[in-house]
This record gives sequence, structure tokens and C-alpha cells, in this order.
Amino acid sequence: MAKYLVKRVGRSLLTLALIICIVFILMRQMPIEGYFQNFDKLTDAQIQAGLKEQGLLDPLPVQLVHFFQNMFQGDFGVSHSYRVNVPVTEILKDKLPVSIRLGCLSILVAMCLGIPLGTLMARYKGRFFDKFGTLFIVFIQAVPAAVYFLFIQMYGTTLLNIPLLFNPNNWRSWVLPVISMSLGNIAYYGMWLRRYMVDESNKDYVSLAKAKGASGGRIMFRHIFRNAFVPMVQYLPSSFLNTVIGSIYVESLYSIPGMGGLLVTVIKDNDNNMVQAIVLLYATVGVIGLLLGDIMMTVLDPRISLGRKEGGR
Amino acid sequence: MKENDNFSKVILSVRDLNIKFTLRGQVLHAVRNVSLDVYKGESIAVVGESGSGKSVLTKSFMGLLDGNGFISSGEILYNGKDLAKFKTEKEWQGIRGSEIAMIMQDPMTSLNPLKTIGEQIAEAVRLHQPDIKGREAVRNKVYSYLQDVGIRDPERRYKQYPHEFSGGMRQRVVIAIALACSPEILICDEPTTALDVTIQAQIMGLLKELKAKYDLTIIFITHDLGVVANIADRVAVMYAGDFVEIGTAEDVFYDPRHPYTWALLSSLPQLGQKGEELFTIKGTPPSLYKTIEGDAFAPRNPKALKIDFLMAPPCFEISATHKAKTWLLDPRAPKLEPPEGIRNLRNLEVLG
Repeated sequence: MAKYLVKRVGRSLLTLALIICIVFILMRQMPIEGYFQNFDKLTDAQIQAGLKEQGLLDPLPVQLVHFFQNMFQGDFGVSHSYRVNVPVTEILKDKLPVSIRLGCLSILVAMCLGIPLGTLMARYKGRFFDKFGTLFIVFIQAVPAAVYFLFIQMYGTTLLNIPLLFNPNNWRSWVLPVISMSLGNIAYYGMWLRRYMVDESNKDYVSLAKAKGASGGRIMFRHIFRNAFVPMVQYLPSSFLNTVIGSIYVESLYSIPGMGGLLVTVIKDNDNNMVQAIVLLYATVGVIGLLLGDIMMTVLDPRISLGRKEGGR
Repeated sequence: MKENDNFSKVILSVRDLNIKFTLRGQVLHAVRNVSLDVYKGESIAVVGESGSGKSVLTKSFMGLLDGNGFISSGEILYNGKDLAKFKTEKEWQGIRGSEIAMIMQDPMTSLNPLKTIGEQIAEAVRLHQPDIKGREAVRNKVYSYLQDVGIRDPERRYKQYPHEFSGGMRQRVVIAIALACSPEILICDEPTTALDVTIQAQIMGLLKELKAKYDLTIIFITHDLGVVANIADRVAVMYAGDFVEIGTAEDVFYDPRHPYTWALLSSLPQLGQKGEELFTIKGTPPSLYKTIEGDAFAPRNPKALKIDFLMAPPCFEISATHKAKTWLLDPRAPKLEPPEGIRNLRNLEVLG
């Protein structure tokens, strides 16, 4: 197990390093306007001097080494246009925790509601609850999120008297954004868990458990749920990532100072250092997510043998 | 060969049972007017080709029919209760496992892949043997079952998962689970079909042993007469949802009367002559969506009588133990001899 973990983590780190290199090299192909605030008014000489000062005229490998050196010291350069000359880490330090906390909360809510939803739908397959759940899932998936986000905001703020604008110190202002962000995941978990549970319940071992004389509830939870949950586990980390990145609309609706939309903005503005840092951040979260998903799978499913998986194939 | 009067006590009695399925608006009549007595302590084999209703029949003893299947009429009497009248899962839970247990066809899929085999056997012990209390006691009981089914080193095997076992070993685990329920009747639904031939013999031998040790009544379901030849006390031949012939193994193997039994026996590979093709039964079984007129086997029987197409034959009693439904047994029928090959089954000593 430990050997596998070390290997797997090492491989993740390698993946990350590769992503950094590729993104870094790609970023160097971008227009250089982004490195200056008043690019139009500068003379060629001034531009060259500016580039030299920022080390951008060095050969690419040298720049890459510099980047890695700085990265390990926690220095990702400064922002050129988003917030001029403020270190990138400074900007992200304020924004990231808000997004992560929102993301975690909404995933938690989604799991607390989505898993029972899927379980009950599978348990009462074809009956009222299943149909009701399907209606909910189809609604959430078919209606553009922006539509129900607006309704939640409209009715949430007026009927429940919840403040419209986000304030990290007032827990009530967290409620509506968290609900909005979790709805998609509730539907997603519900849909997949139902599907996996229905799949499992048609398997032979379930008939054997039944023939053994186990009660319906016991079969449902001890056998079917546990086994259906294993493939679900892989989705959890990636849905967390999506929630953190994909909260642009919710964050702007409630004026939440989070990460949502930041990447799009900085790409548009050619703020290369910011782009580099945010892509690295997301890549890290993604790689960690996959790693965690794999590790959880191996813990839950004895058929996935760690040692042999490496050697085989 | 044991005689039938050793099993004087009827443990399970099926009376005029009809089982139907609704499929896309059509009604499929899977089991047609079946009557069968199962005697305590015997092993009876239900033989028939795929789709003859043999699995459906036994599943109905445990309330395991698929959702679209139902018992339309008839009785299944067990211990003074009519199982055909059972409605709720709760009622069935009193029967499943503790009274009637089942071994399924494919050991590769019938174990939960995410639980250790120890846990899976222990679950049955806890469900059906409440007098065994405490973790240690349950565990020891599981060890003893594992040993009984011929799994060595039970302490180590207890903690292993199904994927660490071969097919034959898994079937032994499935048998251990059935034993752990401490049932009266054990239904073996083609227990060796998914296994290779050498393992088949081992598993059948094991079942024979366990039957004696645990005083079980065993109902075998199989399409292979050869498999049950030396374990079954009685053989019931099923065709198109009905028994066409039933008798002791000796009756059915050495003195078969129904043309379908003849055909089945003729297709035993043991009877094949080198260089000749094996015997096969031509045609396909009748559609169970339609009402069957006359003898269900008549259209596939080259020597069918005219009456076979017109009227269903009654059940003729050949001896106290041997019955068959064929017009050939009517005194007015022409004397037809069974095919050449199966007349010397006795000399081949198929019953071992």
C-alpha cells in the first residue's frame, strides 16, 4: 500500500510539473502587451528594456528554471493588469479561501441531499418518489442554471429575508449561494447513485442475499448501497473542482469575492502571471482530486489490487 | 438404490400450480398445472431444457419470481402453510434461508464482490441461527462450514474476497452460505453448469456428502441428466412447463416411457458413437404465449400419434413410483420401443 501511494503521488507530481512546463511555454507565446500597463505609448527600446528587466528575453529553459525556483519560494510574480503590481499570491490568498469554503459547503450539502435522493429513488424505483426525483433531476439538468439561480435569489431574499449581498461574517448570507451551487450536484449524485444502485440490484449476489433471507432494507444498505457507492467515489473530487471553478455566476450574483470568473478575466487582459498561477492552482486541485478518488476507490474496493495494478497491463 | 418408501413424509407438496408472466402485454404460461411431492430426505432432480420452467418452478417456492411473474392458481404446501398465498416479503423471509435455501448457477456472480466470504457466510449464520451469539462463536461456526465444504485453511480464507477464489471454490462458498442458513430443503439451480467438468464431479460429490451430514432434502435443477445420474433418488422430466415423466432414477434411466425422456437420454454424450454425430432433438419448444393443444412434445416427435396433436395425455401410473404423461401408455396405443441407444443404459451403469 505505502509503496503504491508513493508511486502514485510521485506520478501526480510529475503530471503537475509537466502541466506547469506546458502552460509556461504556451504563455510565452502570448502577446507581450500584457506585461505593460501603457503598451501603446512605449517605444520599442523601452519595451525591450522592460522585457529584459522582467527576464523575458532569457532563453526559455532559463526562464522555466527561474519560474520553478520562484514557485518553490511561493512567488508567482506580480499582476500586470488585474491589480497592478500586487503579487499574484496576495490576490489569490484573499479569494481562494472564500471559494473553497463555498465549494466545500455546497458539496457537503449536495452529498447530504443527493445521496439519500439517489438511494430512495432506487429503493422505490418506478414509484412516486422515483418519479418525483426524476422530475427534479430533469428540471435541474434541463433548465439553465442561471434561471433558477435568479429565482432562488429573488424569492430567497424576499421570503426568507436573507441579505442580498454576501458577507462572510453573516452565516445567513451563505445560505442562498450554497443552495444554488449544490443543486446541480444534488441532481448529479442522485442520478448516478440511482443508476448504479439499480444496476447492482439486478446482480446475482443480490438474489442470493434475498434467498439467504436477508430483509429488503438490509440488502439495500449492506449490499447494494455500499457496492453502488464505490464508482460514485470517483466523481466526488472532480465535482468539487467543478464547483470551485464553476461558481462564476453565483459569485457574481451575490457579489462574492471568490475565484469564480477570475481566470476568464485575466486571460482576456493578457495578465500572464495570473493565468499561470490560476492554471497551476486548478491543475493541482484536479490532480489531487483524481489521486484522492483513486485512493478512495482502492480502499473501498478490494478487487482493485494496488501492487498488481502497477505490474499488470 | 433406495426405495421411495424410505421417504414416506412429504415435506413440500405442489398442487396444480400455474405460474404466469406478463411480458409486454402478453401472458406467458411458464408453469402449467404442475403437481409434485417432495419427500423429506430425498434428492430429486428436475430435468428439462432451457425455458422449460424448471427454474421458475423452484423460484416460486422461495418467492423469488421476477416482478412480472405470479402464481395464477394452485398450492405450494410446506409445513401446513400454503406458500402460494404469501404476499408480503415479511412472510417470505420466514421461509427463505431458514426453511428453503438456494444455490445459484453462476458462482462467479452470486457472491458480493466487496465483502469477505467470511462476512457473507456469517451474515447467514446471524440471520438464521440466533442461538449462536458473540463474534467468536459466529466466526468459529463459519470456520466449521468452510471446512465442511472442503475449503482448507479457513482462518485465512475467511478474510479473503470472492475474487481471490476460483469458480469451484466460490461455489463451495455459496454452498457454505446455504448451509449456514440451516435449511430443510436445498434448491440447487444448475449448481455445476458454470464449472468445468472435473469440478462438477467434485461439487456433486460434496453435495451428496453434505446432504447426509445435514439431513437435507435437495432439489436439483439441471438440463444435464448425466450430472444427476448418481446423486438423484428421483428424476422429474419437465417439458414446456409441465412434468412429462417422473420416477426413481432407475425408472427414468432404465425404463423411460415418454418420447421426450427418450430423446433427452439419447442426447447424452456418453451414448455417442465414435465418428457419428451426437443425437439432438429437432425443432424448438412450443411458445408458452399460446395455449398448448395436445402433447406439448408432439410437434418435435417424429413418431407422434394422431391423438398427441388433439388431446393432452393424462398421467399414467406405470408403478407406484413411476408416472408419465404420454398416450403411448394408453392400452389402445401401438407398442413403440424406446430408441436402440438408450436400451443398454443399464449396461453402461450410468447410475454408478
